[in-house]
Amino acid sequence: MSVLQQEMRDNMSSVKTFKPKSEADLASMILGGDNFEIIGGGTRAIGKLDAPPRNLLDMTGVSGIIDYEPAEMVMIAKAGTPIADIEKALKKGGQRMVFEPLDYRPLLGTKGKPTIGGAIATNASGPRRFVAGACRDSFLGARFVNGKGDIIKAGGRVMKNVTGLDLIKLLAGSWGTIAPMSEVTFKVVPQVETEATLVLYGISDLDAAKAMASAMATPCEVTGAAHLPQNIAEQFKELDGKSATLLRLEGFEKSVNLRIEKLQAILSDYSEQHVLNDKQTKTVWTSLRDVTPFSDGTQDPVWKISVAPMAGHQLVAEFGPADAYYDWQGGLVWLRLDGDHHVHKVRAAVKKVGGGHATLVRASDEHRRSVSVFQPENPAVAEISKRIRKQFDPLGKFYTGRMG
Amino acid sequence: MTATEMTSETSSGIQMPKPDQAILARREEIVSALKAIVPGEGVVDNETEMRPFETDGFLAYRFMPLAVVLPETTEQIAQVLKYLAQEGVPVIPRGAGTSLSGGAIPQEDAVIVGLSRMIKILDTNYENRTLTVQAGATNLSISDAVASDGFFYAPDPSSQLACSIGGNIGMNSGGAHCLKYGVTTNNLLGVKMVLIDGTVVEIGGEHLDAPGLDLLGIICGSEGQLGIVTEATVRLIAKPAGARPVMFGFDTSEDAGACVADIIGTGIVPVAIEFMDKPAIDICEAFAKAGYPMDVNALLIVEVEGSDEEMDDMLARIVTIAKRHKVKVVKESQSATEAALIWKGRKSAFGATGRIADYICMDGTVPLGQLPHVLNETARIVESYGLRVANVFHAGDGNMHPLILYNINDPIEAQKAEDCGMDLLKLCVDAGGCLTGEHGVGIEKRDLMLYQYTQEDLDQQMAVRAAFDPEWILNPSKVFPFEARGNERPATGNA
Amino acid sequence: MQTNFSLAQLADPGVAEAEKILRSCVHCGFCTATCPTYVTLGNELDSPRGRIYLMKDMLENDRPADEDTVKHIDRCLSCLSCMTTCPSGVHYMHLVDHARVHIEETYKRPFINRMTRNMLTRILPYRDRFAFATRLSVLGKPFASLFDKVTPLKPIAAMLRLAPSKIYGKTEFTSPGSFKPEKQTQGRVTILTGCAQPALDAGINKATIELLNRVGVEVVLPEGEGCCGALVHHMGKEHQALESAKNNVRIWHEEIEKNGLDAIIVTTSGCGTTIKDYGFMLRNDAEWAERAAKVSSLAMDISEYLVLKELPAPNDTGEMVIAYHAACSLQHGQQVKSPPKDLLKAAGFKVKEAPESHLCCGSAGTYNIMQPEIAGQLRERKVKNIESTKPQAIAAGNIGCLTQIGSGTDIPTVHTIKLLNWAYGGEKPEELSNIL
Repeated sequence: MSVLQQEMRDNMSSVKTFKPKSEADLASMILGGDNFEIIGGGTRAIGKLDAPPRNLLDMTGVSGIIDYEPAEMVMIAKAGTPIADIEKALKKGGQRMVFEPLDYRPLLGTKGKPTIGGAIATNASGPRRFVAGACRDSFLGARFVNGKGDIIKAGGRVMKNVTGLDLIKLLAGSWGTIAPMSEVTFKVVPQVETEATLVLYGISDLDAAKAMASAMATPCEVTGAAHLPQNIAEQFKELDGKSATLLRLEGFEKSVNLRIEKLQAILSDYSEQHVLNDKQTKTVWTSLRDVTPFSDGTQDPVWKISVAPMAGHQLVAEFGPADAYYDWQGGLVWLRLDGDHHVHKVRAAVKKVGGGHATLVRASDEHRRSVSVFQPENPAVAEISKRIRKQFDPLGKFYTGRMG
Repeated sequence: MTATEMTSETSSGIQMPKPDQAILARREEIVSALKAIVPGEGVVDNETEMRPFETDGFLAYRFMPLAVVLPETTEQIAQVLKYLAQEGVPVIPRGAGTSLSGGAIPQEDAVIVGLSRMIKILDTNYENRTLTVQAGATNLSISDAVASDGFFYAPDPSSQLACSIGGNIGMNSGGAHCLKYGVTTNNLLGVKMVLIDGTVVEIGGEHLDAPGLDLLGIICGSEGQLGIVTEATVRLIAKPAGARPVMFGFDTSEDAGACVADIIGTGIVPVAIEFMDKPAIDICEAFAKAGYPMDVNALLIVEVEGSDEEMDDMLARIVTIAKRHKVKVVKESQSATEAALIWKGRKSAFGATGRIADYICMDGTVPLGQLPHVLNETARIVESYGLRVANVFHAGDGNMHPLILYNINDPIEAQKAEDCGMDLLKLCVDAGGCLTGEHGVGIEKRDLMLYQYTQEDLDQQMAVRAAFDPEWILNPSKVFPFEARGNERPATGNA
Repeated sequence: MQTNFSLAQLADPGVAEAEKILRSCVHCGFCTATCPTYVTLGNELDSPRGRIYLMKDMLENDRPADEDTVKHIDRCLSCLSCMTTCPSGVHYMHLVDHARVHIEETYKRPFINRMTRNMLTRILPYRDRFAFATRLSVLGKPFASLFDKVTPLKPIAAMLRLAPSKIYGKTEFTSPGSFKPEKQTQGRVTILTGCAQPALDAGINKATIELLNRVGVEVVLPEGEGCCGALVHHMGKEHQALESAKNNVRIWHEEIEKNGLDAIIVTTSGCGTTIKDYGFMLRNDAEWAERAAKVSSLAMDISEYLVLKELPAPNDTGEMVIAYHAACSLQHGQQVKSPPKDLLKAAGFKVKEAPESHLCCGSAGTYNIMQPEIAGQLRERKVKNIESTKPQAIAAGNIGCLTQIGSGTDIPTVHTIKLLNWAYGGEKPEELSNIL
């Protein structure tokens, strides 16, 4: 939700903010109310604006870590717990979230503290997604309240669990459209000793796609593969101004060094090589994760596009010289465009390169009202999704249209 | 028919719904309609030939199907489903029939739709690291097809030699190596699926994540109740430079359990940590002759990966930890052949148990910290029934596999074994875990679902199920206990 | 798995044995994955697990065999790949042998099928009849496609196609006698002369005897030895099989008693599996059990025997690339896996193993005659796999495989022993005359 919209909402007396303090609170509020928009820290103002403002269901009051056992590699927290609190606790336990939840604040200019519930509800995954899984892959269990006010438990606290339907997968990435979560359980992994990045300078988008594919075909365990065309790479003081293909390695120091050497030998065709140290690696990859290259303070459209890794550069080529960079070995394209007239072109390009999906993560409110922000589903799939939503929220109390 | 009217077809504990007489009466008509869709030997309809389809890997329970159909194309499956849904005839999807929870066990008024003739690999793309395969292909056939090019498909259930990828998706199968690589849902990129009305949908593909609700996520592990997956696109992973299983022998299960927790607590996540107790070691050694240490009471197989230097480094760290827990034997595999034997023994553990007794295999998962407690309690409970147990399981993720040994030809002992199994599963739930880590609920654990979930929890699951299959045609007697269904959720298609 | 046999049924030792085997099966399904017919046809009924279930049902209910059960049992190659795979140790071979006897006793096959089977059992096990029939069939070869047009006659077409263009008569190496090494004798063995093999390729016996003599082993071919009985055994003709077995047990046991034998060497692995099973086949016959067990314990594949012997330095054979085809009877039936490969490598050959080496080539005794379509598909698959290793020649330890594979490829096929004999001083196998 944009700042502007927040102000509009605050000015409307008919719209209220509900701030439950507990799961029981949440259930009774849902039972008694209607027309909700679920928010955590309010940092992910993404989605279709489909209706007049709604009652805010502010989950930040349901906050706090419930259980954390490093030896079990599991954390249980209330959904409104700030990510920062979680990261602090994990640091103490020598662990981290493998899915690197991306923080939309720089890109969207939102304020507030991102919450774990928000990260999960938006399936916010970082650069490691293409090898270590999305946020949803670390997500083990949840308690949530459906539109009827029932408190439901799904999943559990163990890594392997196939007991019944895997409902939590529907919650992850549902953008608050089917039910608010009160409590989440997720897998955490040991912190790595060190990380480093092998940089290949000055190669084209196509060659970068090939180089990244070659790197991924080796046993070097690359955990980040991104390519920055020159106009993007120029923004990083850690890089030398040419286009940069980045391959991240993590682990015990000795092992990382060995693997960097091996990778350098395998990619010796690309002669301009450079290695970023641990600190530089952290800075650069956090920046790529949070899309800071496009954090320009504007509302210019920014698209997040997921396609097959080798299709990424083909997609960007459809836009001529474009403001774009690649993550996930080329399968994730961050694309900045200069006006509101590109929607059809983006969708057509995705289709042309073999399919995938594109989300308009940043746009003006007006733009968000007039176009579909998320990738339209094919009719048969859309029909199933519609029925599923209805099963969580039969009376349509939640912001169902947001994913339109 | 309501839940209370359902009666058992066998004398044992798990009930199946009374077959729908109207369907049985139309058998000939249904069979000839199926034959018109799938020609040749694709429809099995005489009693002798249907008999081998009456059960799967959970062979304590057996029910005859109405007919068996073995299609060769997605199009045929679409026509079959459309027809059977119109007729209200229950459908039992079947992959390789290796389910340990009875996921592929039919019922008398149901048609089995088997995927065993759809085994082709359709596309392999090493640059995108994806492979598309028909759902009847075996799990191992994927890794075999890409091995010489340096790739593999990660989920490796012990039955990977035989089990199908479609079945893996149905049960969200795991395996020994999922500690590092995840289970099926983490390695599945897309499916082609036939919905109950015959519509064919494609969900996901070579790209990552879903644009809308994560339907792929809900399909994976849905035990054949949402549709029939006919093709799957999976993620390939580059093979590690090397892999080395190392055996650590301990005097007690407690030492071994504590060692596992310590390894992971220290920040080391090996590719796999497998546990075997003494009976399991004896059984596996008898089959595989892998050189398992025979003078210990608990064995951990810890696998590390990487270059030789990396593995040496990692192993040194693990050995240091193991010494803190009074490790008695440390034995490294000396060659690829030896490593293969160690895994062969482990992966054949269930089958090899057949050499000494009948067994039922439990599959509960517990939080790692609870392992020593649960192992002790398991021993106590099994002993209280006067039975024996062999424990072999994935210790790294707390997925227990106690094998309760009994004599299936002795009805009293068979009942005891079943009761004992239920107690062990409750123990896992009580310890903060779940009923099943990778084998699925099937019919085996169906009636314990209310022990882990509330009625509301199950109502929500059943509601989502109904979004795909409102008439409960697909695998209707599985997963959800009849007592939790209410009258509006039938256990057969035409009740 | 659970079984339901009455005490009366279990009084029959054959049924009791079958029950014991069925009890060890846990229905895990591992066997399906490595079964050639299941991977070809994709039907549970054509897998070991499905057949075990069909057999169980038939035996438990003491039911005469029916057409459907027979169809699926007949499709079984008896390659025993399932036994290599089975973690539970289910003795499928003994179970299916028992079921085949039951089928033979209780099922009346259609006329032509019966005639074909009878013809095979009356010709193949007899060296002279086989040679004569093969010569005759050369004349019939051009008419093979005519028989193809009538389904029940397809086996005749298959047989005609398989008939070799050259037939060997009796040679000194296939007639009774004794072959002593030039120098001191380090062992004394007999080799199974065989029925079909010497007619199809007399060079196998010759190479075996020459090589054994060269390493100091005396070879004796006693008078009166005959077919091992495997062919009729696999057709369920128990009586005939046991008569063959008894004949050989008698002959060999006399030789053991009289002059002593270190081993009974077999160069056709299909026969080896059966001879090693004589002890089981005659276990309930007090008159024969002990002698049969003795004979079985001495039976060895030639490769098993040779790896135990010290061999001289090999001659240079030009590092020829050899694809080793593991005959099912050797790799599964007898679990002899590495000796042939080890021997070939030690002899200086570059040995390749084809993908899917566990799958049968489709030969399987008379299978390629009785089930020509499935056999053809398996042959195609086998040849494709072997050719992918780009070998100069294909080696195997079983004449049936050599004939079957040879009929589907231009790459020469040759018995392992002939390659070994060449490397250790014998003549170059004639099959390889075109390879420099």
